[in-house]
Amino acid sequence: MSETPFIEFVDLWKSYGMGEAQVNALAGVNLTINRGEFVTIMGPSGSGKSTAMNIIGCLDTPTSGRYGLMGVDAGRLDRERRATLRNLYIGFVFQGYNLLPRTTALDNVELPLVYRGIGKRERKERAMAALSLVGLADRYSHTPAELSGGQQQRVAIARAFVTEPQLLVADEPTGNLDTARSHEIMGLLTKLNQDNGLTIVMVTHEADIAAFGTRTIKFVDGNIASDQMNRGRADVF
Amino acid sequence: MFFETVRLALSSIRRNALRSFLTLLGIVIGVAAVIAMITIGNGTTAKVQADISKLGSNLLVVRPGQPAGPGSPPSSPARPFSAVHVTALQGGLTGIKAISAVSQKSLRVVYGTESLTAGVTGTDLGFFSVRDWAVTQGREFSEQEVRGGTPACVIGETVRKQFFGGGDPLGSTIRVGGVNCPVVGLLEAKGTSGFGQDQDNIVLMPLSAFQRRVSGKSDIETIYVAALDGVATSQVQSDIELILRDSRKITQGSDDDFSVRDQTQMANTLTSTMTTMTGMLSAVAGVSLLVGGIGIMNIMLVSVTERTREIGIRLAIGAHERHILTQFVVEATVLSLIGGIFGILLGLGLALLASSLFGIPFNPSLSVIALAAGFSAMIGLVFGFFPALRGARLDPIEALRHE
Repeated sequence: MSETPFIEFVDLWKSYGMGEAQVNALAGVNLTINRGEFVTIMGPSGSGKSTAMNIIGCLDTPTSGRYGLMGVDAGRLDRERRATLRNLYIGFVFQGYNLLPRTTALDNVELPLVYRGIGKRERKERAMAALSLVGLADRYSHTPAELSGGQQQRVAIARAFVTEPQLLVADEPTGNLDTARSHEIMGLLTKLNQDNGLTIVMVTHEADIAAFGTRTIKFVDGNIASDQMNRGRADVF
Repeated sequence: MFFETVRLALSSIRRNALRSFLTLLGIVIGVAAVIAMITIGNGTTAKVQADISKLGSNLLVVRPGQPAGPGSPPSSPARPFSAVHVTALQGGLTGIKAISAVSQKSLRVVYGTESLTAGVTGTDLGFFSVRDWAVTQGREFSEQEVRGGTPACVIGETVRKQFFGGGDPLGSTIRVGGVNCPVVGLLEAKGTSGFGQDQDNIVLMPLSAFQRRVSGKSDIETIYVAALDGVATSQVQSDIELILRDSRKITQGSDDDFSVRDQTQMANTLTSTMTTMTGMLSAVAGVSLLVGGIGIMNIMLVSVTERTREIGIRLAIGAHERHILTQFVVEATVLSLIGGIFGILLGLGLALLASSLFGIPFNPSLSVIALAAGFSAMIGLVFGFFPALRGARLDPIEALRHE
């Protein structure tokens, strides 16, 4: 595993605009993340943390430099191939949950499996298992409007996890939740990281939430300001 | 996967029921118009052909003047026929069953306090034979009546119903254009012709009486010649032309100032006219289908914009461009196919209504129905493609940020 890093940024730049008006969201970032890490990314708005996360999630491409994902030069891939990478290896959790409205929890969790061409029966089994894992098996027929924020986020985690991805990308997953709910979600992510060895990259701006990760990276002005391991990782169990 | 997509499309269409319905209306009206036009057109053509073949295949119709072809200047009023020409034909033709001279005028006919406008027709005894039109009650004209110009009327079913209701018309006297005319016979009912004309709204009287008392002219408008069975109508036709050219003193090299046509020629002319009309009306209806298609494109663009965030979510959790493209194209196709099906039903309903109102046979064509269904699906496919492509090409990051 040490020969090819799981995630690798080599002198990575992301620029917007041209000439004088050019803004560098990422200015020559070098970064390595290994399989099984739970990395939390912090930083003020405009620091480049979201841009970095979008590139890691294969939603965006760098202007220059290399982004390697599992040895693949993912930063150079076209839309279609990046869609394939997302389809095969990556799960997403968003701040605003982003469940499909008027669609049941079960159907929401099944959706990524539909795009992987999995048959109806297996889809349902796997979606129910994922909902059980997040403790919402009894709510499978509820639509997002009938679920609380914390429950919606748990459905979203089930949806991200149901495809058994290699990497989970989370964009401020606790941003809309109170402390108790936030800790519940973080507990769930920690469990996925520890029990299933799922690599997680998560953006947050709350220090106590960031402390759940095994490693915290702080971005300032498009580059890494600090990068440290969290020894005293919050114990939720 | 495909059924998933269709189910998704249906639920999305149902979610915006009113909007979907209004969008559909364009397709429904377009398809209904095409289907109704073609079905009614087919029915009318069939009816016209049936009517003409009922006249008998060995009937020749002789009229003064040449039919004006497309692009030719309107012909000057042609010299009408007179008794001389009829006599010449009667004397010169062989192999014929009967000849009938006819003149007609639309006139007010009065009985008691009732009145109606009927086709008053002056003719002779040959008429019943050449037109194969039987008298069901009473009698035909007598020889004396025809020769002496005595008014005597044989009336059609419509005239009888209007004047006598359920009663017996025979022996009553009706007034035809100021002339008192005793009713001597009743014609067999023929119904509506292929052109929606009521053939039973007719009053027959002897030609001599018609000329002397009603029209005041000795003109003859049409001469019918019925050939005997087994005699080639083409032979009779050229005989007629020779005799008439001679009796009308047409010099060699000049064109005929009359026309002789048999039923096949008439049928062909009429059928081709009907086909042209049907085609033109269908083309107009087709334009409304195009407008319906643009409506679908419009609503699909709205739908894609509304669901930008949903598209972003789908792209992020593993959808490929083709999944999004398929989703919206299928939605547009299902939408316009539903419109097509309702349009077909509505169009057939209209055609059925028209056929019962005007007595046209109801002739739905399966191939036209299948074509309309296929065409409406294709409209969805074509006009849904561009909006779907726009949705599929969205940047997932932008789409996720969309509120």
